[in-house]
Amino acid sequence: MDFQNINYLVLLTIAINAITCERLHEQIYSSIEGGAACFRRLNGTHQAGCSSSLSGAVGVVHMIRNVTDAQWLVYNSSAGPYVAVVNTWLFYDIIELLMNKSENVAGVLLYDDATMRPDAFSQESRCPNEYASWSKSQCSSTKTPSGIGLVWNEKGTDLLRRDIPFPIFFLPQARMSEISKIEQCYNRYNIDKDNQKGRALCSLQLNSFMYAAVNSVVCLRRSASSAILTPTKVCDPLGDYNVYYSLFPRAKETESKKKPVTLVTARIDAASLFDGVAPGAASSVVGMVSHIVAAATLSQIIPITDVDLYDENVLWTLFNGESFDYIGSQRIAYDIARGVWPPISPLSPKNISLHIELGQLGGSLKLFEENTSWPLYAFVPYENSFPDQVSGFLNEMEKKFSINNMTLTPVFTTNLPPSSLHSFQRILGNVTENDLPELLLVDYRDTFSNKFYQSALDDHENIGFAYHNISIGSDGKFLTTDELIANGEMKESEAQVKIARVATALAHTLYKRVTGKSYTGSVSASAHLVDEMLHCFLQSQACRLLAAAEFGASEESAAERAAPLYVGVAAWAGAPAGHAAHLLALLAGAPRAANRTACDRLDEPGFSYYWLKGWNHSGVCIQTTMNFSQAVSPAFIKADYDMTSGEFSTWTESVWQAMWARVFVSAGGGGARLAAIAGALATVAAALLTYWLQRHAALVFRDAPASLHSDASG
Amino acid sequence: MDLNRMSDTKKLQLCRWYFKVGFVLLPFVWAVNSIWFFKEAFVRPPFEEQKQIKKYVIMSGAGAIAWAIVLISWAVAFQLQRVSWGSTGDALSFIVPLGRA
Repeated sequence: MDFQNINYLVLLTIAINAITCERLHEQIYSSIEGGAACFRRLNGTHQAGCSSSLSGAVGVVHMIRNVTDAQWLVYNSSAGPYVAVVNTWLFYDIIELLMNKSENVAGVLLYDDATMRPDAFSQESRCPNEYASWSKSQCSSTKTPSGIGLVWNEKGTDLLRRDIPFPIFFLPQARMSEISKIEQCYNRYNIDKDNQKGRALCSLQLNSFMYAAVNSVVCLRRSASSAILTPTKVCDPLGDYNVYYSLFPRAKETESKKKPVTLVTARIDAASLFDGVAPGAASSVVGMVSHIVAAATLSQIIPITDVDLYDENVLWTLFNGESFDYIGSQRIAYDIARGVWPPISPLSPKNISLHIELGQLGGSLKLFEENTSWPLYAFVPYENSFPDQVSGFLNEMEKKFSINNMTLTPVFTTNLPPSSLHSFQRILGNVTENDLPELLLVDYRDTFSNKFYQSALDDHENIGFAYHNISIGSDGKFLTTDELIANGEMKESEAQVKIARVATALAHTLYKRVTGKSYTGSVSASAHLVDEMLHCFLQSQACRLLAAAEFGASEESAAERAAPLYVGVAAWAGAPAGHAAHLLALLAGAPRAANRTACDRLDEPGFSYYWLKGWNHSGVCIQTTMNFSQAVSPAFIKADYDMTSGEFSTWTESVWQAMWARVFVSAGGGGARLAAIAGALATVAAALLTYWLQRHAALVFRDAPASLHSDASG
Repeated sequence: MDLNRMSDTKKLQLCRWYFKVGFVLLPFVWAVNSIWFFKEAFVRPPFEEQKQIKKYVIMSGAGAIAWAIVLISWAVAFQLQRVSWGSTGDALSFIVPLGRA
């Protein structure tokens, strides 16, 4: 009997659990996971990006399958506001319509449909960093294209710099299941477009409320003021770290005997409209990888012990924050102008014998996927005569390129594509009377070959990168490019090989600049190394190279996804600069025979010592000239800087508390109206009843006390 | 306190006291005074202290109204002009507005 009772009890418990365990909240809402929201950034004069209201933007789901759907939403819909659910392929065609007629638009949910990739997708300006360009730049985003000619980023929507009146969320390919969930809900409730008013409808709520507003001046002021109740930080300046490394140490140089340097630069960061999404394959990674690999190659063919043989040095520098009005390069140019960079043995503009920037490379790699050629262009910003260093370098580089049937075409124009050269011209152009000897390497001529500039879709597919996953020996030896081609593991037409060829040409040309003689040896940049490094920056941080370049003491396991390259706020050091710096240290630094404690104690001026994991993960002591310098705009360190002057980058990023999206079925409103009417009627009835009772109290309470009677009678 | 159970002299004392206290930047005391003693001053049949009470009630009322005009104009001006005052507007704010000008 007892046993049976227990059985009943268990059954009852299970039944109760089954009924009540799903909370009401969960029955109503279904959250959309894995979305990335557009957020707010501000500069000295404007706010840009998106924000929802404090409680989130709510709108009826409308699947946009063609432009007509968007037009219906804007002009003919009846149950607004709406959230437009649209894929990346249609986004460019409809976003202007939604932006211009935004009264009926609560928000946009953008998704990346693998089957419908657009031909172009860029939320950058048509003239990136237009307002931080030097005076001779001709690109104008406001004039019509026919008036001036071409713009760099033809299909740029400029959303990254515009104030968007509604929130936008982005769902990557991996989250297509969320879109099918929304689509099911849409098909069930919203499909009858003409009779939506007053019905229960599938709706989306997008929450991405931003604390900051107006401009950087206002938000920084509000962040600094400590109000009694709400000591809230509302925005932070953008910034991170620049990375630099010199071929020879510069600590022992005196003011009178300072070696001229060849400055070789590239940029680290990229951007996109959405939080945590900035793959930047062609926007920055290819240039950065070429830069690091060339630096490593040059360090192999000119040993550091040759320091006294040559009168020229090479300073490799990676700028951060370039996407937002050249934060990194503005800061370095500004610091050079005031004689404080690098901190050890600062440079003056006249010490820079040549500045070579590896600009935006990789946009045309996909175009030349089947082809062994990869035409590059060298922008030389002089109209008439140009410095000998530049022509010498160009001739040598062209020769090195032709060895591998590659071409380098010089373009003589002061209309420079977006690059750090703009910062140097603006800030140092006035400091020196000479022209700054500089040139810029890119793979486009009139307009960007990268149609996905600064976007969520600028990923490894955009440069046609396929990882080969070739193991690295425990001594850190990479297979040479020639070996890989000879044994058929790679083809001449592959991105890795082409990038290695460019890095080789650059390293060999720099060899001639430093030593004065042509390089005759056989050391060249390895496509195997390029393969690994692209994999680290584009696909997974849990890769062989970064594992070896990790701090020896680190126990953290790296994430199996690429680090977003967005510069982020200055208060937080981002991963990409650290990765690039450690790779420079590991690949171009010199291993020292020292254990961990001895390594930490080493202290020679001009060098840093890093205890890294090394190729066999047993730890290695690396001596390197690599170092970091702050990439925070001069606007934030200069006292009394006028934020509206436009002289330096003033970008800040808003603080937010939460970003989430959820789908639910919103009531048609009939139930709510009924409840309100019933409530009002009940109140009136109760009032009438009370009034009647008071008037006729004597009828109800027969034996009412005498005092009541006297009160009633007055 | 029940005014009904109070002698007229006491009422006058109380009314005068409330009027004086109102000078310590307490316009609400004036407002209370003018409403509380309104019946005594204007509705009740005349009595000895009524004239004085009437005086205090009128002056308290005038004071309260003057204050109200000042406070309401400030509130309206602040709400309408805070944004255009810029940093002064933010400095005067007790709660810094989030996500808007």
